[in-house]
Amino acid sequence: MEANCASKRSCRIFEFLESSIGKKIMVAAAGILLCGFLVTHLAGNLLMFVGGPAFDHYAEALVHNPLLPVAELGLLALFLLHIVLSIRATLANRAARPEGYQVYKGKGARTPGSRTMAVTGLLILAFIIVHVATFKYDVGGLKGQVAGQEESLFAHVLGWFANPWYALFYVLAVGGVGFHLSHGVQSALQTFGVNHPRYTPALKRLGLAFAVLIFVGFASLPVYFGFFHKADLACCAPVEGGSK
Amino acid sequence: MNITLKVWRQKNAAAPGALVEYTVSGVVPEMSFLEMLDTLNEQLIAKGEDPLAFDSDCREGICGMCNLMIDGQAHGPDKEATTCQLHMRRYKDGDVVTVEPFRAKGFPLVKDLVVDRSAFDRIQAAGGFVSTHTGGAGEANAILIPHDMAEKAMDAASCIGCGACVAACPNASAMLFVAAKVSQYALLPQGQPEREKRVLAMREAMDKEGFGHCTNEYECEAACPKGIKLSNIARLNREFLRATLLTE
Ligand code: HEM
Ligand code: SF4
Ligand code: FES
Repeated sequence: MEANCASKRSCRIFEFLESSIGKKIMVAAAGILLCGFLVTHLAGNLLMFVGGPAFDHYAEALVHNPLLPVAELGLLALFLLHIVLSIRATLANRAARPEGYQVYKGKGARTPGSRTMAVTGLLILAFIIVHVATFKYDVGGLKGQVAGQEESLFAHVLGWFANPWYALFYVLAVGGVGFHLSHGVQSALQTFGVNHPRYTPALKRLGLAFAVLIFVGFASLPVYFGFFHKADLACCAPVEGGSK
Repeated sequence: MNITLKVWRQKNAAAPGALVEYTVSGVVPEMSFLEMLDTLNEQLIAKGEDPLAFDSDCREGICGMCNLMIDGQAHGPDKEATTCQLHMRRYKDGDVVTVEPFRAKGFPLVKDLVVDRSAFDRIQAAGGFVSTHTGGAGEANAILIPHDMAEKAMDAASCIGCGACVAACPNASAMLFVAAKVSQYALLPQGQPEREKRVLAMREAMDKEGFGHCTNEYECEAACPKGIKLSNIARLNREFLRATLLTE
């Protein structure tokens, strides 16, 4: 390892990134930054409850912000870092026990969230691909199918939510995010070395509350607009205030 | 009482292994789990069969040799107890108990229930010491140590290196063991001169042995017979981050 790095310091950084603990710290850091992204994303989404014009105005402003491509690249980098390192860690963990147990019960410390990190992670990944393809790149070509709403992202989103399978997949996926974070937030804190007899129990509860809020917040939209306040595809305007 | 055991039998690392069923007769509640296995071996030897290989030494919970996975739990069902401290009063006549070796790439199997835990010795040798000539016993109060620090260091130092944390961890991670060994020095003045060097070396040795990454599942803490706390792993993470940043 010494041979192929320029200086002692670059060696140390390389060692850190390749070490089990360093990898975990990077996964956790990317994960927490992604949580920050989720909060801003959710705040924007909730504008849908305010009304079509408010949401469309926000979307317009975002799309025309010259810094958006920079932010998108940063986000992509965070996702790639998180996904590549966590998958490598998961594979290494499988390899660390080549022969498994016939009976493996444990002592009840694991949680449903902690058991399913890899599964919920992959579910989120699948969702992100579908989500970006349909909402950003209009794969499936729903844009403008809600009568008279050519340019409205609001109408576009409502069009997708009107499909109960799409709405259901959306709810399932953000449920996956909730599960992922129910373990992820407190786990990331522990990985950063934050553990205090007095504050840790409270931080764990806060992490869980954050996971629930993220789930309820994101799921509220497909549930409301997909099942209670449905847009009528290619027929009539969806909800009051839905047009520009 | 009679106990039915399903135990892992395997001649050596290369040979295939399998669970084999035996019924042990004449088990009494006062026996320890290991004495029950001794009884099985007496009965196997009387029948001319190969006795079961398993490790033990002190049989009083201080050496860390008696490492068994009992019904899927490292050291069995009791809290903060080693296998040798588990007693048959926990079981009743006719119970079926599955006994397996600790499983991890870092703990290669030797025979039956015996695994080789020298990976822990190599990790310890990489940095789990202080390099000072201590001379004769010093004056006890020459180095002042706050009581709570002494307690925390002592708690960490009570790790007996049994490997239950690795066995119980879904990722076969050795973080709790390494965290205990790093903490016991990081908390005391005597450990300071080699503080950074130690954690970097022990982390490297740990990864080299093929143990997994910690994902904070807390199963190690639940399985540890000495009650080593997960907060030690948080300290290990801090120490590692600190050493990475501070070392020249
Ligand atoms: C919105 C997106 C996501 C957020 C906010 C997020 C957040 C987190 C957090 C906070 C952790 C805990 C880190 C730790 O234990 O120290 C974590 C772990 C993990 N993430 Fe994500 N994640 C996201 C997406 C993904 C995706 C797309 C994948 C995979 C394909 C993934 C796979 C994993 C895995 C396997 C772990 C477990 C590693 C471990 O337990 O240590 N995550 N995530
Ligand atoms: S930390 Fe606990 S379980 Fe792990 S080796 Fe030490 S005593 Fe055994
Ligand atoms: S035999 Fe020594 S701890 Fe069990």
